[in-house]
Amino acid sequence: MWKTILKRVLIMIPQLILLSMIVFILAKMMPGDPFTGLINPNSSQATINHLKHVYGLDDPVPVQYLRWVKNLLHGDFGQSYIQHVSVSSLIADRAQNTFWLSLLSTLLLYGIAIPMGIAAGKHEGEWQDRAISIFNYVTYAIPGFVFYLLGLWLFGFTLGWFPISGTVSANASGFWGVFWSRLDHMILPAILYAIIATTGTVQYLRTGIIDNKVEDYVKTARSKGVPEKVVFNKHILRNSFLPIAAFLGNTITGLLGGSMIIETVFSFPGMGKLFLDSIAQRDYTTLTALIMIYGTLTLLGNLLSDIIMSLVDPRIRVK
Amino acid sequence: MKRRALGAFGVFMAGAMLLAGCGKSSSTSSNSGAKDAKKFPEQTAMTTAKSGGSITVAEETDTPFTGIFNDELAESQTDSDVAQFGDEALFGTDDQYKINNSGSATFKLNRKAKTVTIEVKKGVKWSDGKQVTAKDVEYAYEIIANKDSQSTRYTSSLADIVGLAAYHSGKAKTISGIDMPDGANGRKVVIHFNTMKPGMTQSGNGFFWEYAAPYHYLKDVPFSKLKSSDKIRKNPLYYGPFKVSKVVRGQSVTWVRNPYYWRGTPKLKKITISVVSPNTASQSIKSKKFDVINVVNSQWKEVKGTKGYNFVAKVPLSYDYMAYKVGKWDKKSGSVKMNKNSKMGNRYLRQAMAYAMNIDEVEKHYTQGLSFRVKTLIPEQFGDFNNSKLAGFPENLKKANALLDKAGYKKKKGETYRRDPNGKKLTIHLAAMSGSPNQEAIIQNYIQQWKKVGLHVTLTTGRLIEFNSWVDKIENDDPSVDVFMGAWSLSSEPSQDDMYGAKAPFNFSRFATAENTKLLKEMNSEKSFNHAYRVKKFHEWQAYMQKEAYVVPMYNRYSITAVNSKLVNYSLKPSQSGLVWYKTGFKK
Repeated sequence: MWKTILKRVLIMIPQLILLSMIVFILAKMMPGDPFTGLINPNSSQATINHLKHVYGLDDPVPVQYLRWVKNLLHGDFGQSYIQHVSVSSLIADRAQNTFWLSLLSTLLLYGIAIPMGIAAGKHEGEWQDRAISIFNYVTYAIPGFVFYLLGLWLFGFTLGWFPISGTVSANASGFWGVFWSRLDHMILPAILYAIIATTGTVQYLRTGIIDNKVEDYVKTARSKGVPEKVVFNKHILRNSFLPIAAFLGNTITGLLGGSMIIETVFSFPGMGKLFLDSIAQRDYTTLTALIMIYGTLTLLGNLLSDIIMSLVDPRIRVK
Repeated sequence: MKRRALGAFGVFMAGAMLLAGCGKSSSTSSNSGAKDAKKFPEQTAMTTAKSGGSITVAEETDTPFTGIFNDELAESQTDSDVAQFGDEALFGTDDQYKINNSGSATFKLNRKAKTVTIEVKKGVKWSDGKQVTAKDVEYAYEIIANKDSQSTRYTSSLADIVGLAAYHSGKAKTISGIDMPDGANGRKVVIHFNTMKPGMTQSGNGFFWEYAAPYHYLKDVPFSKLKSSDKIRKNPLYYGPFKVSKVVRGQSVTWVRNPYYWRGTPKLKKITISVVSPNTASQSIKSKKFDVINVVNSQWKEVKGTKGYNFVAKVPLSYDYMAYKVGKWDKKSGSVKMNKNSKMGNRYLRQAMAYAMNIDEVEKHYTQGLSFRVKTLIPEQFGDFNNSKLAGFPENLKKANALLDKAGYKKKKGETYRRDPNGKKLTIHLAAMSGSPNQEAIIQNYIQQWKKVGLHVTLTTGRLIEFNSWVDKIENDDPSVDVFMGAWSLSSEPSQDDMYGAKAPFNFSRFATAENTKLLKEMNSEKSFNHAYRVKKFHEWQAYMQKEAYVVPMYNRYSITAVNSKLVNYSLKPSQSGLVWYKTGFKK
């Protein structure tokens, strides 16, 4: 197995090189540059030209690409054109925000979706199942941003229970003060996300349970006189978790990806928001760094998922 | 999460509409907005305020602020907004932006000696208790002109200071034209210029800098590291009424009283400014989340009349315009090459297009009267510089038709559209930026108006253009653009060279005529130190631009701020800009 993992990691290298080329070229093809927004009669063209020169933006694209790769190999993502801090520190800052929000969202998501999926599968066709199906239809049909905005309007503005934007209140001080303030800022977006994103997990789990219920090994277990509770927990439920485990790798690496929509609606400075802003502001260094990170995370996520699958399901062995 | 990523771009606009739709909408006729707007005061009650209290201020932006707390290096409006509580300029001004001695430094201009003398007042102290010195004033120029600091503030206007260009290029180690007669720790600075300009008495003139930077605090940071240093990003020094107590990167800044403030103790104890999305601004006002918050004009209907707020407004120094491409930028000579035979080279055609537009109607219909047509390229805020006799281009289809007929743009029998004087088919390409949700409808309306006078106008690229692409096309004189619509925000010194001079890259129309060059020169000539003469030249230039119509002024808009009705002494007047946070406080 270690051999396989090594092989997969090695394959990632050409994949990432290709990705880096595409990303870099596409980023340069966008009209405008980081200094487009600086246009006003008070800043002279000579100054802007000088800045472009300092940042090497006037070099041919291949030269810029090689320089970028060279720095990248030294672990240097460069300076953000817009924020004027190093991209690594900028991303570290945002990744932290995103990570905690995603972790809370994911935990809440599983906290809501798994009991629902089990209930629906266990009580197939009964009222519990139907109620959960209706819930699923509704949440699946509502576009995320509408749901988030409604939540923000209701709980943030009208009822005033939660803060409306940001990651931490300006008045928070001390470790616990900051901690609670951060949590307070994450609860609403996390809950809203967890509620609306349940569909997939619930459905996989429900279908899995229903399918497994009639499997031969379940029948065998029952005929052997194994108590119903054990049959369900050991034979049915475990196997029904397989499809969810299949995505676990991507879920774990996805904790750093962030959601553009949620972060935009809640003005939550995370990775998704940074990604959007860096596109709009032509912050090449940040943008390319982010895409490379996303790419790496996706590849790692797939690998992780495969490893997890091979661990939980002895039938699948990585060759 | 990935699956929904594509929808994100729709969020900005959809969000605004959705949240607006959640509230009760008060029905108003389209005219009442205009009347309300004229009723806006520029300030809340000016009276004695009690000491103490803290407020929260909203900064409306979709992107986290950069947070460069230094005037020489900051680039964005949001950065200067979040810094306004501590950041004080050297000079005070009157309401027409003329520099006076009410600020933290005095100002003396000597035409004969070609100098400006700046003397920092005694007792003006940084928030660490150190007096603001001559070196601090001089150091700001070093930051701007030093290539390593990567400031975008170095301009050709500033380069007229003796020795600044040499320092900028690295030829000189010091700036020879900036003297400190009482030494670096004195308070007096004398700046020598190559030429004196009449505009030098106006704030915002760009010939000298109006801020100081704390040399004693920043001197150990190399210029190349300034922008990212903690001393500027996290713990900056200012000499204004408040000092930074905490920065949450990109999100909020908390300000507390500067105990060394030279005017005395500010009324408020603490001010927190935090970022809020413009889409949720109206909801923030209705649920009273902030004490001071700007109104997004398209949400005005939602928030007007909200109890607990006073609404104050000003007309910012800016205008939206329509301009015609009549030439190209010549990179070699660094100047405009006008082409008299270009498609839009005919004055009557340009005027006709302007007269065909129903700007008044559009503003009434789409902006509830919060925007209004401007008549000349020197807005009214400049006082007597504005030529109030000019009418601009009010809608007049008859006149537009007559002008086109006169210039030989004629229709062939049975055709909808006019041909050019040579009998060739004429299609005019308009480059308009995407923006507010109404933008598409407004532009289509103008296209219909032009159709009424027989002009075939289509959109460059077939649709509205995203900001970056728009700039790209306009800057590079893309041949697919004949007419374009954009906006300028203006400096508080009304000179026009940087925007409409023959050597100005921002002269996007690319027009250069002998008459224009002459007028622009006269506006800044030696004679123009005489105010009446300068005003006369400004009036002549505006009349000339109205006649030639290379650039057609379109409209400007009120910028409204909602202020907690318990707050007094809040003002938007230019003369109060250095005082506002010192004076603002809760009603007694």
